[in-house]
Order: sequence, then C-alpha cells, then structure tokens
Amino acid sequence: MNGFEFTHRPIDAAALTGSLADPAAGGFAAFEGWVRDHNDGRRVARLEYEAFEELALREGRRIVAEAIRRHGARRAHCVHRLGALEVGELAVWVGVASAHRAEAFAACRQIIDEIKHLVPIWKKEHFDDGDSGWVNCAHCAEAAQAPGFDYSRQIALPEIGAAGQRRLAESAVVVVGAGGLGCAVLAGLAGAGVGTLVIVDHDVVEPANLHRQPLYSTNDIGRPKAGAAASRLAAYNPTIQLRPLPVRLTPANAAGLVAQGDVVVDCSDNFATKFLVNDAAVLAGRPAVLASVYQYEGQLQVVRPDADGSCLRCQWPEATRDGLVGNCAESGVIGPVPAVLGNLQAMEVLKLLLGLPGQLRNELLLVDLLDLSQRRLQAPRAPECKGRCARIAELAAPVPAGTLEVSVSLAEAALQGYRIIDIREPDECLALPMPLPGHEAIPLGQLLDGATRLDPGLRYLLVCSSGRRSLAAAELLRADDQGNVWSLRGGLTVTMRTQNAK
Amino acid sequence: MPRIRLRYYALLREQAGRQEETVETAARTPAALYQELILRHGFRLPQAQLKVAVNAAFTDWTYALADGDEVVFIPPVAGG
Repeated sequence: MNGFEFTHRPIDAAALTGSLADPAAGGFAAFEGWVRDHNDGRRVARLEYEAFEELALREGRRIVAEAIRRHGARRAHCVHRLGALEVGELAVWVGVASAHRAEAFAACRQIIDEIKHLVPIWKKEHFDDGDSGWVNCAHCAEAAQAPGFDYSRQIALPEIGAAGQRRLAESAVVVVGAGGLGCAVLAGLAGAGVGTLVIVDHDVVEPANLHRQPLYSTNDIGRPKAGAAASRLAAYNPTIQLRPLPVRLTPANAAGLVAQGDVVVDCSDNFATKFLVNDAAVLAGRPAVLASVYQYEGQLQVVRPDADGSCLRCQWPEATRDGLVGNCAESGVIGPVPAVLGNLQAMEVLKLLLGLPGQLRNELLLVDLLDLSQRRLQAPRAPECKGRCARIAELAAPVPAGTLEVSVSLAEAALQGYRIIDIREPDECLALPMPLPGHEAIPLGQLLDGATRLDPGLRYLLVCSSGRRSLAAAELLRADDQGNVWSLRGGLTVTMRTQNAK
Repeated sequence: MPRIRLRYYALLREQAGRQEETVETAARTPAALYQELILRHGFRLPQAQLKVAVNAAFTDWTYALADGDEVVFIPPVAGG
C-alpha cells in the first residue's frame, strides 16, 4: 500500500503497519496525530475535519510519492480522518518502511509536514464553552507555537495602514521561477502578507543553487523547488496561502496560470519564459514585473497591460534566442545580485497592489552593483507594438527541439558516427575539460561567423556546458542550411552527472 | 570629431574590459559606432541582438549622434 487516503471511520494503526510489511525493509517509522484537549489556551471538546477531497487526494498522493522517491524509502502511506472526532482519537497516521531507519524517519517527517502545510484540510474546533471555529490546517501546527504574525510595523506606514494590509491579504501574486530572484521575491511578498502566492517552477533544488537561494537547505536537494519553497514559506508565515505548481510555464498553460494572480512576477532564467510571461500578462490584462541578472548587474522592467503601457516586445519585438548570452551557470552569479533585484521586484509588486507612488512605468532600470550606479532608461510603448504581444501561439511552436537535441553519452555519440564539437569558450574548456578525446574545440562565435564550414557529408554533435548554447547554435546553423548538426541535450553537466552516477 | 560617452553592460562590459569610456568618432549613427566598437573590442553579439539608448532613452540605430551624447548598448540578459 503506497499512497494517501481519507477515512470517516477510526484509523486502525496496527492494520496499516501490517500493510507496509516488506522483506527488504529493515526500518519502519510512524507518526500519529491525536486530537488534543486544548488549543491556543482554550479547552477543546471535539473536532471536525473537512477537506477539498479531490484536490487533497491528488496533493496527498503527490507528497507521499515524492517522499518515497526523494528518500529512497520502500513503502509509505498516510491516512487522514474526516468528520467528527473526540479528544484522544487518531486524526492522521503516516507510516514509512525503508531499508534503513534514516530514510524512514526523514520521509515520515517530510510527509506529515507537507500534508499539514500543503493539503487543503480544515478543522472545526468545538470548545468547552460551546464556541467553535474553523481553522485551515496549514495554520494549525504553527498557530499553536507562533504568537501570530504581526504586521504592525508596516501598517504604521501612512500609505499602507489597516486598509492596505487588508488589500495585501486579499491579493494573489504568481511568481514564475523560484531561483535567486524568486527566493527574494517570495520572501518579500510572504513577509508583507500577500494573501496567496502561486509558485511556478519545474526544477529541483541542486547543490549549486544554495549559495543564492536561501529558501532551500541542503536537506532539500533533489526536491522540487515549488514544494520546497512553499513548505519553507508556510512555516515562515502561516497566515498566507501557498500554491506550489511544479510545472513548466508553457504556451498552453501560461495565460491560465498568469490569470491566477493580480500581478505576475518573472523570475525565470531564460528568454523563452520571459517573453511568455510578457505575452501572457498582456493577454490576461495583468501587470508583470520582470527582472534579469548578469554577473554583477541587473535589469528591471514593469509591463502594464493598459493602453499606453510598454511591454518587453516594444523594445525587443522578436523573442531573444536562449543560448546567445550566458545564464547563471555559464556566466557566474553571486547571491546579493539576484537578491537585490528580487527585492526591487517585490517592492514594485507591493507598489502596484497598494497603489503607492513612484511605480516604474515605461522604463528600464539598469543596476550595476559593482559601481553602485543605476540608470533609468525611458522605454516607451512602440506605436507598432499593438497586437504584437499576442504571440503565444507563435511561441507554442518554437523550435523542433526534439529533432535538434539528442540524449546520448559522448562515447555512444562517437560510436554513432557523430563528430563532436565543443563550442565552449577556451577558459571554460580549461576549467572543465571534455571527458573524452577526439573532439574539436570551436568556440560558439567562431562557429557562427561563417568562417568554419561544416562538411555536409558528416554528422555533428555540438556540446556546451548546459545544452542551451549548443541548441541555439544548432538552430542557427540549420537556418543557414547546415542541416547535419545536433545539440547534446543538457550539455556536459548532464552527461558527466550521468557518467558519475554509473 | 564628436566625443561620445559610452557605457557598457553585461557581456559587452566583459568583452570591452571596462564599464565606460569616451571615444572620438566619425561615426554618425549608433549603428556605425557599434561597427567601430566590434573592431576595437571584438564584440561578438550581432547588432540585431542589442538595443541602443542615447541620453537615457531608447532610440533607433539611425539616430544622428552629436558631440557629448551618452550612448548605452544594452544586451538582453536572462539570468534569474
């Protein structure tokens, strides 16, 4: 039995334990949540649990499956009671069987924490004095320990006040990308009390993210960022709702996702997503706050869907190809740079939600954190931009990536007859040499300047560190009628990780 | 010859090895100026990937440059 279920009858813990029996398991850990007789200093007589069952089941099963996968447990199961319960009754049971005790404890802890934080379950407390009240369970665990989240210092700002705080609580913001920018944006908005945060990110936490993404810890490595960020923020501020969506923003889902918020914040690390956020925001009639960083610098822009507001395409009518300019992995990045830009984004979001003065409008802000300079460039609406933004359909068929990218090891590629070209810059090649001899090294710029002609009788495989530049180069070479080029998907990073794992 | 103040960001700053400089140039437009700078600094980004701003406002590549103008070439950046 692996999964998550609700029951209206008493939970039989012994039977559940038996159901997880597994000859390969050497450890078993269980957690039991009981109905206690007090909460927040009041005597509790009994409880009622209610759930949004369809969504809760889906989310619960995802949480259990993710915990099994992440910790390498053998089997895990969680049962939650619904309906009326008396003091002392078993309300929730989690059991994990695994080869060793460490995985069992860790997976069990993760499951109960996430069920509490992320699954839509409510409890109604009936107090001894006859009073009763509903609480969202996301708040239960913390509410007992935390003396409440106090917004008084920001309510003291004359422009905000109690009315402004209520407006924030009623607002929803969609954050696309939970990396360096996203961590700062999410922490800023969660602290300010924005009522609902939708976190869109399909990546998992990697060790190289941690130095600039302080919402995650080493324990989160391998875990989807959306869920990890939501857990952390739920513990930080139990008064807000978190909606983690571990999905990639695509032309098919972009308009729907963006419309879930009053404002959308682009914290992604690639042009395809930035243009998609821009286009979807204009289509859905939502403002978008976009930022990007490059080494010690950043850019910030606020896109307005109104009549004379400019958008990303007013300056860049054609979506920029990914791969031509470096990303964080290729160019390097230091934590405070995305943190500063992310906090600027959070501030622009709050200005939009609260109607504060000084909002960035039809401008591009350039910030340089080495010389501490900043510049506001006027970026007006392009008269010919009308309608340009509605390019989601066009983005829907961007690159025939499946036909341009191959996933093979370098050794297999050589056996399959590919000529391998390392298109990285010379300093990158020195820092991380190709794990295989017999390749050519032609930096991207040289390959694209037309001086190098590829032999039409051969098949070429382009390799860079992440697979982005090589894909961009393959697209451009194909457009130049050099049809015998492919790109190594994921680049050297993935190839070497796969190799090391073997 | 007109003196133009230049300010570099991101990839262009790296390739130029400096954040700003002042040049004397016969180039009459930002487009001609960028071609000069490709030779001088070995810029690898094609002009089509850039935007140009003169005196803190985006402008087009055929703008008539005047003595004392400040020109910023802006590469797109996507890091997050």
